[in-house]
Amino acid sequence: MIEHAFLVGFSKSFGLFYLIALSIAVVIYAMKPSNKKQFDEAAQSIFRDEAGPWR
Amino acid sequence: MSLFGFHYRLERKAIGLTLAIILVASIGGLVEIAPLFTIHQTVEDAPDMRVYTPLELAGRNIYIREGCYACHSQMIRTLRDEVDRYGPYSLAVESKYDHPMLWGSKRTGPDLARIGEKYSDQWHVAHMNNPRDVVPVSVMPAYGWLLTTELRTDDLGLHLKAMRRVGVPYTDDMIANAAVDAYAQSNPDSPLADGVTKRYGKATTLRAFDGQPGRLTEMDAMVAYLQVLGRLTDAATKSTARAEAGQ
Amino acid sequence: MIAQLTLTERQHAIMISAAVAVLGALMILVGQDDAMSIHGVLVFVASAIMIFRIGGSYYAPLPSDDRLAHYYDDPSKVGIVLSMIWVVVGLAVGDWVAWQLVNPDLTFGPGWSSFGRLRPVHTTSVIFGFGGNALIATSFYVLQRTSRARLPDQVSPWFVLYGYNLFCLLAVTGYLMGVTQSKEYAEPEWYNDFWLVVVWVTYFVIYLRTLARRKEPHIYVSNWYYMAFILVVAILHIVNNLAVPISLGHTKSYSAFSGVQDAMTQWWYGHNAVAFFLTAGFLGMMYYFLPMRAGRPIYSYRMSIISFWGITFFYMWAGSHHLHYTALPQWVQTLGMTFSLMLLIPSWASAGNVLLTLNGAWDKVRDDATLRFMMVAGVFYGLTTFEGSFMAIRTVNSLSHYTDWTVGHVHAGALGWVAMITFGSIYASVPWLWKRQQMYSPKLVEAHFWLALAGTVIYVFAMWNSGIVQGLMWRTYTESGTLAYSFVDTLVAMHPYYIARAVGGLLFLIGGCIGAYNIWKTIRISGAAAEQASDVPQPAVVGAGTLQPAE
Ligand code: HEM
Ligand code: HEM
Repeated sequence: MIEHAFLVGFSKSFGLFYLIALSIAVVIYAMKPSNKKQFDEAAQSIFRDEAGPWR
Repeated sequence: MSLFGFHYRLERKAIGLTLAIILVASIGGLVEIAPLFTIHQTVEDAPDMRVYTPLELAGRNIYIREGCYACHSQMIRTLRDEVDRYGPYSLAVESKYDHPMLWGSKRTGPDLARIGEKYSDQWHVAHMNNPRDVVPVSVMPAYGWLLTTELRTDDLGLHLKAMRRVGVPYTDDMIANAAVDAYAQSNPDSPLADGVTKRYGKATTLRAFDGQPGRLTEMDAMVAYLQVLGRLTDAATKSTARAEAGQ
Repeated sequence: MIAQLTLTERQHAIMISAAVAVLGALMILVGQDDAMSIHGVLVFVASAIMIFRIGGSYYAPLPSDDRLAHYYDDPSKVGIVLSMIWVVVGLAVGDWVAWQLVNPDLTFGPGWSSFGRLRPVHTTSVIFGFGGNALIATSFYVLQRTSRARLPDQVSPWFVLYGYNLFCLLAVTGYLMGVTQSKEYAEPEWYNDFWLVVVWVTYFVIYLRTLARRKEPHIYVSNWYYMAFILVVAILHIVNNLAVPISLGHTKSYSAFSGVQDAMTQWWYGHNAVAFFLTAGFLGMMYYFLPMRAGRPIYSYRMSIISFWGITFFYMWAGSHHLHYTALPQWVQTLGMTFSLMLLIPSWASAGNVLLTLNGAWDKVRDDATLRFMMVAGVFYGLTTFEGSFMAIRTVNSLSHYTDWTVGHVHAGALGWVAMITFGSIYASVPWLWKRQQMYSPKLVEAHFWLALAGTVIYVFAMWNSGIVQGLMWRTYTESGTLAYSFVDTLVAMHPYYIARAVGGLLFLIGGCIGAYNIWKTIRISGAAAEQASDVPQPAVVGAGTLQPAE
C-alpha cells in the first residue's frame, strides 16, 4: 500500500522540479539560435499564396 | 502517398507532438489528485455515518434534476463568518457518500450544508411551493409541481445498486426493500415503518414530510433530503467541540 | 453539398447514419419508461433526416476531380452557420436567466423553464454550441491552409460536425427534462458522454491524417493549440465522466467519485475546460486569423511556443483554486494557488503577442471593426487572466468565491475574450469562405462591435460591484460581534446590479443577432460580382497588407 504521506511529499516536491525542468527545456527549444530560421519561416508561412492544396 | 511511406518522418513529428502534449498535460493532474485517493489513511472516519435512505436519495436526485446546485452550495468554508452564519465548517467525511458531490460554486441562495431540521417541514413545503410566500424578496423559482407529482419508486432498487457499485455500503436488504422503505419513511403510521428504522437506524426521521400522509410525492423526497442535510453524522459538531475544549 | 461526395462516400455516409439510427431505435426500445426514449427519438429522427438527404441526392452527378484542387470548406461553412445559431439561442437564454434573477416569476411556471434547468442550457449553448462549432469550423479551415493539404476524406468531417451538434442537442434538451449529472460543464449523462468520445476521437484522427499529408515540415503553432484543445479535452472528459448508470435503459448514472475526490476531479476538469476549451482552442484561432487579417506575421513566434507549453503544463495544476478553504487538504489548495499565479506568465505572453502584432498597424485597427474585435479580445484575455490569478490567491478568493465576482470574471473571459475573438475570426473568414469581397454590411459589423463592447463592459462592471458588495456584506460584523446582514439583505443590495447585467446582456444579444443577420445576408447575396478566385484568404480589406518580418 502506498503511503499517503509519501504521495503528498512527492506531489509537493515533484511539482517544483517538474516545473523548473520543463521551463528550462522549453526556453532552450524556443530560443535556440538554430531554430530561429525555422520559426521565422513558420510565422511567414501562412501568407504564402499557393491557391489551393498541394494534394 | 501512404501514411508510412514517403511521409514517415513528418508523421513522426505529429505523433511526437501528440505524445508530448498528453505527457505534459496529464502528469500535473495525476500527481496532484492521486494522493487524495489515499486520504482515508489520514482523515478520521465517522463510524456513525449512515447512508441516504431511498427517499432521501430520491430527493437528492430531484435536487440535481432541478439544478438547485447552481444557486446553493453545500460546503461551509473554514472562515469565521461562514461558521457563524451556517454552522460548523464542512468536513471531508461528510460527503463521502455523495456521488457526485454537490459542493457548488455559487451562492445565489444561502448554503445548505446544515439546513437539516433548521426549519419545519411545513416551512419547506410552503417555501418550495412559492418562495415569496415566506421570503418576500427571494429570487428562487417556485417548484409547485413537486407537491402534485407522484414520486417514482419502482427503480429505486436500481439506484441503490448503482450506488453500491461505486462504493456506498447498501445491503441486499436495503436494495430489495428500496421502494417500500421510500413509501414507509413518509408514512410513519404504516406497519412498514419499522423496516426503515431497522435498516437505516433509529435516528432516521419518519414523517409525512409534505403534510399529506398516504401520498408519496416528490415533495416528500425533497423535504426528506433537505431535512437530513448535515445530519448523516455528527462528526462536524464533535470535532468543533473538541477544538473548543482544546483551546 | 452532397454533390461533392463521391459514390463510396455517399454510401459510407448512409451506412453511418443508418448505424446511428439503429442506436436511436435501441434507445427507444430499452429506455421505454425514461427520458432516454425521447432522446432515442431525437437520435433516430436526426439520422433519418441525414439518410433522406443523402439518399435524395444519391444519384446526383458525381463530382469531378477538380474538387481535389481546392480545400474542402463545406464543413467549415456549415459549422459557422451552426455556431451563429447556437450563439443567438445561448445568449437569449443567458439574458432570460439574467432577467429571472431580477424577477423570479419570469419562469412562467413550468419546470423546464426554471433557473436551475435553463442555466446549463445557457452555458452549454454558448460554450459548446457556439464556441465548439466555431472551433471545429475554424480548425478545419486553418488546418488545411497551414498544412497546404486537403482534408483526408469528405465524410469524417461531417461526422464530427453533425455528431458534435447531436451531442449538444441531446445535452440541452436533456437539461430541460432534468437529465443532468450536475457536474458543471460536464452535465450530459453517460450515453451522451460516450457518443462525444466517438466523435472526438474521429476529430483527432482527421487532424493526424491531414498533418501526415502536409507540405510544410513545420507544424504551424495554431495547430499545436487546436491539438492540445482536442487531446486534453478528451482526457478530462473521459476521467471526469466516469460513472455507473443505474441500467442501460435509464439516463441516470452515479459518478464513480464522491466527496473530496469528486470535487478535485470535477474542478481539475472544470478549470481545464476553461484552459483547453475556452483558451487553447481560441488561441489557435487567434494565431491564424489575427496575422491574416492584420496582414502581418505574429510578433513573436517564439513567445507563442513558450506560452503554449506554459499553458499546457501550468493549467493542469491550478484546478484546486476553485476549492479554497473547503474540506480539500490545504497543501492541494496551496499548490493550485502557486501554479495559478505562474499562469500569468504564459497568459500575458499571449495577450502581449496580440497587441505587439498590431503595434504599427493601429490605423487598420481604427478602420476595421473585425480587427478591433480581435484586439479587444486580446485586451480582455490579458485582463481576465490577471483577474483569475488574483482571485486564485486564497485570501482574495475568500471574498470572491460563491459571489458574482466569479460570474463577472467568467463573463469578462467569455464575452470579452471567447466571443470577441470568435466574432472577429468569423467576420474575417466568412468573406474568404464564400468568396465575397467583404461582409454584406461593414456598418453592421461596426454596430455589432460597439454593442458587444458596451454589453461586456456593463455586464462585467455590474458583476464586480454586485460580487464585492455581497462578499463584504457577508463578512461584516456589528460592534457587538454578530453578523450585521442577513442573507436576504444582500439580495436587496444586489437587485440594481442584476438589472444592469441583464441590460448589458441584452445589448450583447442584439449585437449577436445583428451579426447573424449580416452573415446570412453575406451568404445569400449573389456572389457573381464579388467572387474571388483564390482559395487562400486575402489579407485585410482595408489598407493593403504589407508584410513585415517579425522581431
Ligand atoms: C447575453 C450575454 C450573456 C448573459 C446575459 C449571460 C448571463 C448569465 C447568467 C445570468 C448566468 C448565471 C449566473 C449565476 O448563476 O448567478 C450565467 C452563467 C454563465 N455564463 Fe453567461 N451570459 C451571457 C453570455 C455568455 C457567453 C458568451 C458565455 C461563454 C462563451 C457565457 C458563459 C457562462 C458561464 C461559463 C456561466 C457559469 C458561470 C459560473 O458557474 O460561475 N455566458 N450567464
Ligand atoms: C490565468 C488564467 C486564469 C486563472 C488563474 C483563473 C482563475 C480563476 C479563479 C480563481 C476562479 C474562481 C473559482 C471560485 O472561486 O470558484 C475562476 C473561475 C472561472 N474562470 Fe477563470 N481564471 C483564468 C482565466 C480564465 C479565462 C481566460 C476564462 C475564459 C472564459 C475563465 C473562465 C472561468 C470560469 C468559467 C470560471 C467559473 C467556474 C465556476 O465556478 O463555474 N478563466 N477562474
